[in-house]
Amino acid sequence: MGNILEVAGVEKKYPGVVANRDVSLLVREGSIHAIIGENGAGKSTLMKTLYGLIRPDAGSIKVFGQEVSLKSPQDAIALGIGMVHQHFKLADNATVLENVILGGEPSRFGFVIKYEEARKKLLEIAKTYHLDIDPDESVANLGVGERQRVEIAKVLFRGAKILILDEPTAVLVPQEVTELFENLRDLVDKGLTVLFISHKLDEVLSIADDITIMRQGTTVATKKPAETNKKELAELMVGGELPKPIAGVQNISQKSILAFKDVSFSRHDGREILHNLNLELHGGEILGLAGVEGNGQSELIELIMGLLPATSGSVEVLGLDASTTPTKDIRNAGVAYIPQDRQRDGLLMSAPLWENRILGHQFATPMAKGIWVNKAAAAQDSTRVVEEFDVRTPGVNVLASALSGGNQQKFIVGRELSGKPQLIVAAQPTRGVDVGAQAIIWDHLMKARTAGAGVLLVSADLEELFSLSDRIAVIYSGSIVSILNPLKTTPEDLGLAMTGAKSA
Amino acid sequence: MATESKVHVKSIGKAKILFKSPARITLLIAGLFFILALVESLTGATDISSPGTSGATLRFAIPLLMAGLGGLWAERAGVINIGLEGMMIVGTWTAAWFGYLHGPLMGFVAAAIFGLASGFFHAILTVKIGIDQAVSGLAINLIAAGGARYLSGVFFPPVGGDRTVSPPVDSFPTFTIPVIAPILESIDAQNIFFISNLAGILHGLTKDVSLVTIALLLLVPLTSWILWRSKFGLRMRFSGENPMAAESLGINVYRIRYVAISVSGMLASLGGAYLALVASSVYREGQTAGRGFIGLATVIFGNWKPGGVFAGSILFGFTDALRVRQSESVMSLIMVAGIVALVLSIFYSINRRWKPGLISGSLALVAWWIHQRVDVIPQEFVTVFPNFATLIVLTFLAQRLTPPAMAGMPYRRGSE
Repeated sequence: MGNILEVAGVEKKYPGVVANRDVSLLVREGSIHAIIGENGAGKSTLMKTLYGLIRPDAGSIKVFGQEVSLKSPQDAIALGIGMVHQHFKLADNATVLENVILGGEPSRFGFVIKYEEARKKLLEIAKTYHLDIDPDESVANLGVGERQRVEIAKVLFRGAKILILDEPTAVLVPQEVTELFENLRDLVDKGLTVLFISHKLDEVLSIADDITIMRQGTTVATKKPAETNKKELAELMVGGELPKPIAGVQNISQKSILAFKDVSFSRHDGREILHNLNLELHGGEILGLAGVEGNGQSELIELIMGLLPATSGSVEVLGLDASTTPTKDIRNAGVAYIPQDRQRDGLLMSAPLWENRILGHQFATPMAKGIWVNKAAAAQDSTRVVEEFDVRTPGVNVLASALSGGNQQKFIVGRELSGKPQLIVAAQPTRGVDVGAQAIIWDHLMKARTAGAGVLLVSADLEELFSLSDRIAVIYSGSIVSILNPLKTTPEDLGLAMTGAKSA
Repeated sequence: MATESKVHVKSIGKAKILFKSPARITLLIAGLFFILALVESLTGATDISSPGTSGATLRFAIPLLMAGLGGLWAERAGVINIGLEGMMIVGTWTAAWFGYLHGPLMGFVAAAIFGLASGFFHAILTVKIGIDQAVSGLAINLIAAGGARYLSGVFFPPVGGDRTVSPPVDSFPTFTIPVIAPILESIDAQNIFFISNLAGILHGLTKDVSLVTIALLLLVPLTSWILWRSKFGLRMRFSGENPMAAESLGINVYRIRYVAISVSGMLASLGGAYLALVASSVYREGQTAGRGFIGLATVIFGNWKPGGVFAGSILFGFTDALRVRQSESVMSLIMVAGIVALVLSIFYSINRRWKPGLISGSLALVAWWIHQRVDVIPQEFVTVFPNFATLIVLTFLAQRLTPPAMAGMPYRRGSE
């Protein structure tokens, strides 16, 4: 069988970022081709390019041997390329059939939908590919696995020959994953081709015919599962050597300032995000939390800040029960929080810096004077933050939105490290900032550690984890699967642990 | 928790199926009529089922229905139309002015065109520019009210009108359905329990009907058909439920919203035209009297379905009709409500659903107390009754209402 899809030299640049460069990919007809890589390795950009959502700056894409230019999803659909998005695009308040036919309705006079014909066609597809779906069921009543089958049916209904699945297993429970894999096998047995994005190595090794690894925006290798193993894949994903950790004065106190005991957390829809999680942090240490995004890190942080209550187990923050203590009291007890989305959770973009300085400290001196805000003190302390953290700004009266991302981040870190916090929750503290700003932020986190504060460092940046952490806890599927010593661990081992491999 | 919510979903599904079966609905309506007939024969108040009341109900219901359908079209496509009231004002004014100049038919045509334009204006503001939907709607209400007042002052006094009232406009001819109407009339006169009550109501609906009324009523099944049978309807519903999904399948959500909101404006404006040309024969300032907002309430009452909107506008229209007729009939209506509540309470108690049983039981008690202690129902209560009914419906049915998921949320192309 020949190559159904050939990608050569594809490049996509955004201002300041190269999302894809020199990407090449050969997909055999009738195969399951997995694409793996870390977050930010460029997998999604490549898939969006193939589905016509993004136009590449350079390179060529051949479908069935024909050079094509994909300008929109419609072009991709017309060529037989279909995409199953990670976040389902379904309307709850409509039936399965209506969701499937939308946009490709068989109709009389171009106006009246031929529902009977559509239903027949859908049932035929369901029968051919063994997809268990009921056309007349309301989507609101469906579970996640069923919804995914509807999405697959949607793509097949449009006559797709190549299916792109963007991290299809991220939202599924193990039994649903097994079902999905059976369905995918059925699809390729019937002659279709599946492109499958994942970062779970076990899954990829069990289902894929070919595995292409991406790192830093480019494809680095293509392997067959029989000729490789988890260790090699993890090495290829993570890449080269990392700098050695900085030696610092270690001053770990006996006092535990953060303790998770058998903590589980389930969302409203019943999906369990955290499962029997245990974690302890002492004053004077930096605990790195490593993991592929979406394994429960965000929820873990929100539990600490009292933004979510634990379903079971206890979260103790500086001696307070975080499930019942209001966020205000947790913060006042001495917890600093550097959120991962600085523009959404960290700043008021349309407020001046001095007002942003008050955020989170609105009840403490010197920001507050009785029930009033002390503008003079806030402005003065903002100036201190601006100087200490080298925030490039014309003054403290400019709006936060006027600052560049790196300077916004430095201001947030400066604000949070004010007032001698005992526990610092730092989520992706240097994401998207330049090298200079990164050095300043790292330096201040190390200083806080020396001063006796405990730091929980949640990061996707392995270099950052190795440089700062005293210990690295690895979170996978809502549990801490291992705690590693950065001095005795290789990045490959960490990469393996993050992707759920049992042992190195 | 997961199992709990699943059970909940299932029971809703069941209730829907039961409620949907046509036999059951017929039975329910028949039961309601029976109680009505019973009360009428007991109290001697005959106005509820008199032909006059049912005719008036229809006349009052049509403008609400049109506003409601207008709200439905907009919200199904994902945009809330607070501007219905203003669009109705556009309809009353243009219908009266162009009706005065060129006859009532041209009045309706003009109202349709100007209504379409007012809807299109709302669409430009909300879809293209992305202004908050409530703000845009309010602006339209204010512009329409102010504009109508200004234009009335300029145009009406020179042609024999007033600064607030248009010159009289020719009405539409009405007709009485031959054979059927006289038969119903004679049955009504016989005073047979139940049958005569029914005949009375039907007589009111067949006597002196306007063709316009029938044409506008046909918009209810037409809207249903468009929503659930046509390609445009399916795409329109997805524009309101999940515009991102629609866009990902190559559907132009903006264009769909433009069309739906324009139609929304046209429908509301036709409701206004009906007020000026059929329900009366003149434009009067303040003629719409908040009917656009009541129309919005019927959308919620009717669970975003054309049939439900129709039922809602009949309920509101009925209470409106009673207000202008005798207020004694309101007392018998309270008795009817009391008996219904009593029956419901027994039904719930048999099914061991104590909470709703208790609530409807106490409602029955309240009705009985009012009947015993109050001689004359104040006019104000009658006026406020429909709003009160909507509140009750919302309280009891809020869990079961299925509004379009993205109605009222701003949507920008390409957003995730």
